[in-house]
Amino acid sequence: MNHEIVLKVTNLKQHFKTGVGKYKIYNKAVDGISFEIRRGEVFSLVGESGCGKTTTGRTIIKIYKPTDGEVELLGRRIVAGTMGYKQEIKDLRKDTPQKIAEIKVNENLSAEQKAEKIADLKSKKNERINELRKEIVQAKKDQREKYRPDQAEVKQVKKEALGKIEVLKKDIAKLNQEFLQFKATAFQKTDSLPAGTPQARKDEVHDEEIKVYRAKRKEKNQKVQALQDEILTLSLSPKFYNRPLLNKMQMIFQDPIDSLDPRMSVKDIIAESLYINGIKKDQVVLDKVYEVLKLVGLQPDHADHYPHEFSGGQRQRIGIARAIISEPQLIIADEPISALDVSIQAQVINLLNELRIKLGLTILFIAHDLSVVKFLSDRIAIMYYGKIVEMGSKEAVFNNPLHPYTLSLISSIPMPDPDYERQRGKNIRYNPGVHDYSVNKPTMREIEHDHFVLANDVEFESYLKKINAKKAKKQA
Amino acid sequence: MTTKEPIIQVKDLAVSFRTNQGLVRAVRGVNFELYKGETLAIVGESGSGKSVSSRSIMGILAGNAIVDGGEIIYENQDLLKIDEEDFHKIRGNKLGMIFQDPTSSLNPIMRVGKQITEAMILNGKRKKNKFKDLYHDKEVDVINARIDLEEVEADDSLSKAEKSERIRAKKLVLKEAQKALKARMKTAKVEIEAEYAVYKQDYKAKKKELFNTYFKGDKKGDVLEFRAKRAELHDTYMRKIKVTQTEARDEAYKIMHEVGIPEPEKRFKMYPFQFSGGMKQRIVIAIALMAQPEVLICDEPTTALDVTIQAQILDLIKKIKEDRHLSVIFITHNLGVVANVADRVAVMYAGKIVEYGTLDEVFYDPRHPYTWALMSSMPDINSKEKLQTISGTPPNMLYPPKGDAFAQRNPHAMKIDFEEQPPLFKISDSHFAATWLLHPDAPKVLRPTVIDDRIAAMKEEVKRLRGEKE
Repeated sequence: MNHEIVLKVTNLKQHFKTGVGKYKIYNKAVDGISFEIRRGEVFSLVGESGCGKTTTGRTIIKIYKPTDGEVELLGRRIVAGTMGYKQEIKDLRKDTPQKIAEIKVNENLSAEQKAEKIADLKSKKNERINELRKEIVQAKKDQREKYRPDQAEVKQVKKEALGKIEVLKKDIAKLNQEFLQFKATAFQKTDSLPAGTPQARKDEVHDEEIKVYRAKRKEKNQKVQALQDEILTLSLSPKFYNRPLLNKMQMIFQDPIDSLDPRMSVKDIIAESLYINGIKKDQVVLDKVYEVLKLVGLQPDHADHYPHEFSGGQRQRIGIARAIISEPQLIIADEPISALDVSIQAQVINLLNELRIKLGLTILFIAHDLSVVKFLSDRIAIMYYGKIVEMGSKEAVFNNPLHPYTLSLISSIPMPDPDYERQRGKNIRYNPGVHDYSVNKPTMREIEHDHFVLANDVEFESYLKKINAKKAKKQA
Repeated sequence: MTTKEPIIQVKDLAVSFRTNQGLVRAVRGVNFELYKGETLAIVGESGSGKSVSSRSIMGILAGNAIVDGGEIIYENQDLLKIDEEDFHKIRGNKLGMIFQDPTSSLNPIMRVGKQITEAMILNGKRKKNKFKDLYHDKEVDVINARIDLEEVEADDSLSKAEKSERIRAKKLVLKEAQKALKARMKTAKVEIEAEYAVYKQDYKAKKKELFNTYFKGDKKGDVLEFRAKRAELHDTYMRKIKVTQTEARDEAYKIMHEVGIPEPEKRFKMYPFQFSGGMKQRIVIAIALMAQPEVLICDEPTTALDVTIQAQILDLIKKIKEDRHLSVIFITHNLGVVANVADRVAVMYAGKIVEYGTLDEVFYDPRHPYTWALMSSMPDINSKEKLQTISGTPPNMLYPPKGDAFAQRNPHAMKIDFEEQPPLFKISDSHFAATWLLHPDAPKVLRPTVIDDRIAAMKEEVKRLRGEKE
C-alpha cells in the first residue's frame, strides 16, 4: 500500500455554542481527535449517534468552521481553528503579571536584576503574542482560501494549450486544403467521357468515382473530428488545471432522498460541479455525465430523468456519481447505506468497493454498522463522545479490542445465527465511570503496530498485559 | 414456554391501497398464527407488506387502504369486521404496538409522564364504564336492529309492497329496542347512583371522623398531618369513580422502572427532547405496557437505534416478554436481530410469505431463493470477498407479477416461476416455503455456498466461545 498521506487531522475540535449569557453551553461534539488517512485506503469512523462522527466529516469538508485544530489535505492546510492560539494568549496575559509579582517579592535578587528579569518576561510575552496573532491571521486566511493553483502556472498551461491548438488548427486547415485539391480532380473521368457514351456507362464511371470521393471525405472528416476533439480538451485543460484543491474532496450523504434536488434532472445534479468549475461546453459535460453514470451502474438515458423516478439504491448511485465526476481523491461517505434497504445495501457497498479500486479513491467512511465497516475498511477509529477511544487496522481492532467501549460495541452486534445468539450472555454495557482519570489524564498511545488506544498509564499497563497474554496463547 | 395455542390467526389477509396510479396490492394472501408466549419475527425488505400486515391486526391502516379479504381471528372474533367502538377495547388494552421511530411517535410538547398515563386516565372512568356496561346489551340490540333495517332498505329483490311491509316491521323492532334501551338506562342510572351514594356517604362519614380525631372540642391536632390524611381519604374515594392522577402516576413509575428508566420520579416530568433515542424507545415501550397488553407488535423498534442501544432494547423486550408472558410479533429486516429474539420466522416478499418456520429451520435449512439471497447479501462480521447482491429491485405492486414475484431477481428461476404462483410446500410440520424448487419434479438446486460457509464458521465460533466460557 502507498504510504502517501492524503488527509491528516490534528487535534480537531468542534464545539457548538447554545444559549446566551449565563445559559451559554458548549456542546463539545468533537473534542480533539487526530488521525491520518493514507492513499487508497478506507478509513472508518464508528460510533453511536451523537458521538461526533458526522460532525468530523462535515468539519473536514468545511461545512462547519472548526473551533480548534488543523486538517491537511494533500499536504496543504485547509481547515484551521484558532481557539488554541487565543487560549494561549489569554493564559500568557494571565500568567505574566503573576510571575512579575513573584519576582518583585523575591528577596534574593537585587533591584537591577529584578528590573532586568521583568523586562525580559514582558518582551518574551509580547513576542509570543505577536507570533500567535500572526498564526491566527494565517489560520483565518487558510480557512477562507480555496487553494487554486498558482495563477502564473495556469497562465503557462493556457499558453501551452493555445500553442498546441494553433498547430492543430493549422493541421485542420491543411487537411481541408488537401481535400479541396482532391475534389477539383475527383470527377475528371466522368467529365472527360466522350459525348456519345451511353448513359449506363456514364453512370458506372460516376459511381466508381463517387465511391472513392465519399471514402476520402469520410476519412478527412474523421481526422478533423479527432483534431477538433483534441482542441476541445486542450482548451479546457487550463480550466481543469485551475480547479481548487478542495474539489479533490467530495461527500456522499446519508439520505439519498433529501440530498438530491427534486427539481433538477439527474444530468444537472451530476454536472453541477463541472458547471461551477467553469466547464460549460455541452458536449464535454454530457460525455462526462454518461461516463460516470456508466461507472456507477446506471444507464446514460437516466440523465434526463428526475430523482423521484428512481428507487433508493439508484438515488444513492446518483449521489455517488455526483461525487466522483470531479475526479476527487478523497471521498467522505457519511453513512451512505444506513437509509437503504437490506437488499440494496450490498449493491452500494460493492459499488463503493469497485470504484475505490477502479479510480484509486481514498474513502473516509462514517458508519455505525460494524459488520459493514469490517467488510469495507482497512483502518478503523472508534469514537465515543467526541474522542477517538481506539484506532488501528481492522484486524487489530476486531481481534484485540482493548477499550471497554470497543468491547461493548463489538459484543452487541447481532449475528444472523441462532446458536450464536443463544449462547450470548448479557451484553457488556460500557460505563464511562470505569476510568479513573482524576490524576492521570489519558492520551492516545500505540500499543502494538498500527493500533492506538486512549488510556492513561495504569490502563496502558493492563492493556499491554492483556495483549501479550493473548499473543502468548496464540503462539502456544 | 411456547404453547401450541394460537392467540392470533391471520387467514388469507389481502390489503390494497388506492393511489392515483391504481390499486397497490400490498398484501396478497398472508397466513400465519401467533402462538401464546412466542415471538414471531416477520422479515422482509421495505414494501414487502410486513408493516401493513401488522397494522391491519391493530386496525390502524391508512385511510386509502382496502381490505380485499381474509380474516384476523383474535378471541373468537374477526378483527377486520368489528366496529371501531369495540376495537377501542382491544387496541392498546389487549394489543400493544411499538413503532420504528421513537422521536416521531412521542408528542414533543407533552411531558412524557402525561403521555405514559394518558391512555390509562382516559380509559379509567370507572363509574362511567360501569354504567355503560349495565346497558351495553340493549345498545347492541339497537345497533343490530338498525343494521337489519338498513339491509332491508337496501334490498332491491323484494317487491314494493313486501318491502314497505318489512320496513314497517323492522322499524317497530327498532323502536322497541330503543325504548328498552332508554328504560334500561334509567334503571342503570338509579342503580349506579345508589351504589355510589353509599361510597359517598362512607367517605363523608370517614372525613367527619377524621376531623373529629384532630379538632373536636379543644383538640389542636397537626393541620398538615390532617390535610395529608384527608387527601388520602379523598383519593381512595376518587379511585372508585375514576383512575386518579396519583394512581396512574404510581403505575407509571412501576412500569418505567421495569423498562429500565432510572429515577422515574425525575424523568416523569421531562419532555421527549431531553431523552436519548434509546430512552425514548423505552418510554414508547412503557406506554405500550401501561395497558397490560397480551400481544405486543414491534414494528422495527431498533432500526433507528445504534448497535449498543439496540442490544439493550432487544434484551428489554425479551425480558418483559418473559415476565409478562407476552406474545410478540417482531418486524425487522435485520437477520441478526431475528436470530436474537425470534422463536419462529416468516420471510415476506412482495406481499406474500415465502418461507415460514422455526428459527433454526429457517436459518440452518433455508429453502426459498429469496431467503438465500437475503442471507448471502448481508455483510456479517466475517465476510471477506465481494458481497452477493440481489440484482434488480422489488416488483411494482401496482402490477403484481403473474407468477412467483421473486422470479425476476432469482438466478434459479424456472419457466413455471414466471407463469404460476408456487403454493406453500411443506418441508416439516412447522416449516413451509413457497418455491417451485421444492416440487418433486424440480431440478435439484443447492443453496449458495456462502450460507454453508457462514453456518460452519459460526459453529466453530460458538464452539470456541463455549469452550472459553467453561
